[in-house]
Amino acid sequence: MAKKLMKGAEAMGEAAIQAGCRLFFGYPITPQNEIPEYMSARLPQVGGTFVQAESEVAASNMIYGAAGAGERVLTSSSSPGISLMMEGLSYIAGSELPVVVINIMRAGPGLGGILPAQGDYFQATKGGGHGDYRCLVLAPWSVQEAADLVQDAFDLADYYRNPVLILGDGLIGQMMEPVEFKADRRPCKPLAPKTWASTGWKGDRPRAIINSLFLDPEALERHNQKLAAKYAAMERDEKRVAEVGTDGQYEVLVVAYGTVARVVYTALDDLRQAGVRAAMVRPVSLFPFPYEAVRRAAEKAKAVLVAELSTGQMIEDVRLAVEGRVPVHFIGRQGGMLLTPEDIAARVRELAAGEGSHA
Amino acid sequence: MYSSRITILVGHFGSGKTEIAINGAQALARAGRRVVLVDLDVVKPYFRSRSARAVLAAQGIEVVAPQGENIFADLPIIVPAIRAAVRDPARTVLVDAGGDPTGARALGSLADAIPAEGADTLAVLNFRRPFTTTATDAVAMVRAIEAAARRRVTGLVSNTHLLGETTAEVVLHGYELARQAGEALGVPVRALVVDEALEGELAGARLGAELTVVKRVVRPPFELSGRQRTTGPLFVVH
Repeated sequence: MAKKLMKGAEAMGEAAIQAGCRLFFGYPITPQNEIPEYMSARLPQVGGTFVQAESEVAASNMIYGAAGAGERVLTSSSSPGISLMMEGLSYIAGSELPVVVINIMRAGPGLGGILPAQGDYFQATKGGGHGDYRCLVLAPWSVQEAADLVQDAFDLADYYRNPVLILGDGLIGQMMEPVEFKADRRPCKPLAPKTWASTGWKGDRPRAIINSLFLDPEALERHNQKLAAKYAAMERDEKRVAEVGTDGQYEVLVVAYGTVARVVYTALDDLRQAGVRAAMVRPVSLFPFPYEAVRRAAEKAKAVLVAELSTGQMIEDVRLAVEGRVPVHFIGRQGGMLLTPEDIAARVRELAAGEGSHA
Repeated sequence: MYSSRITILVGHFGSGKTEIAINGAQALARAGRRVVLVDLDVVKPYFRSRSARAVLAAQGIEVVAPQGENIFADLPIIVPAIRAAVRDPARTVLVDAGGDPTGARALGSLADAIPAEGADTLAVLNFRRPFTTTATDAVAMVRAIEAAARRRVTGLVSNTHLLGETTAEVVLHGYELARQAGEALGVPVRALVVDEALEGELAGARLGAELTVVKRVVRPPFELSGRQRTTGPLFVVH
């Protein structure tokens, strides 16, 4: 297929269609409206169904139903809408169903504003809804990567029978870049037939019942332990990370995800020309978090700088990774304001010179 | 490309209207015209020409668009200043209409304020955008925009590109499709837009349309260097 110039939102929508998703249920909210808009135009062309639900709560239950019937299904929203979907997501995780959810984060809390932010890291990686569950969380830094990760997300969701969350900031949804969809793409995981799907019982197999209710505490504990084993398998097999300059010598390691990593990338370029040695680790999977890669890279630095569009959320995982071996500092903007390459470069210079160690 | 006092740019969202409008306003201002850039874009929440107000004002270009707290409101806001600018014969008016038929609806509400005679309505086409990949798609898009905007498109602007991955071949293939769409619509291709990086390569090509050279002014923050002035959270004009 020829390369197209696509908004991140459009590319993610098309990626879902390329991955065989034929169902979208959602409710509009800026800055991700181009996803439902794209799906509303494209799904009828490929024999799919688009429904604008009456609310995000309804949408999360519609994807629950569709996933239970064994269909590949997508919803998307932005921060406040994702909060509304959390009950459904907990039920979906509890019922072990594959869904893909895209969160194009805007500034919060509450209604906040419509500009980019990364304030939903805790919600995405540490639960969000109630109960002991995890979503696999993937964070793209480019439109192409967003398209690729959405396609992988459907395979991962099916393989683990678990929700996969694509976590992008508003910029990922809104910016335009060239994208290519490969016609010969293969699934990133081996996929078994969905014999568990509730598609109508004809007496030829045990009944497939979609359920997250276990009133027997022993059964519920077994269920929780089964889920925990699944999350442990994700932590073992699904860590994704990208590194820039970590094979060389450097004084400061910057850790950033999503489009903030693009800002850091520009800053590293400027710093290199100025003779300041710095490197970057970019977690692509946020759950599972690439603790080992961060630790390995941090041990070579005299300081770590975490850059986020929040008041500091991923920094907690970075601190867990580093285990106090190296001081971990923070730089962030909030409210839809963005970090600039100059902000990052200035802070890296300070840390490389041994200043600013108060944080 | 700007032979009328009033030029309206319409097109699919993401077709490049804002880039072309800002470049056009700068070129017209350099040529000594009193330029008013009207931003009617209600479709794209992040990339709008009104974010560039301060930089453009320094270049002598007046931006007419919602101000202050309304800048980031995702609501259709149409200011009376648009009507005033359109009525003043001393000013050259460039209208950056919203993308798609949805965005063109705001333009439709100004149908009585902007007379059809003396105004050009140019449809910007990028055949590398997902919903306009063929001449037939482009014709359907133009017809839908005309209905929503309540005015006829008088010409096409060929703007096929892939940002940094654009080649002369991409540009010329897009131009050929634009020409086919123009034939079907009965309107000329008024300009072939190319990035300054490809100007040399395409300057010699014998084409039926004026070559309009633009420089990318709308850039995401990670592409900004310290020399460039930030004019909005996601926007720079230099």
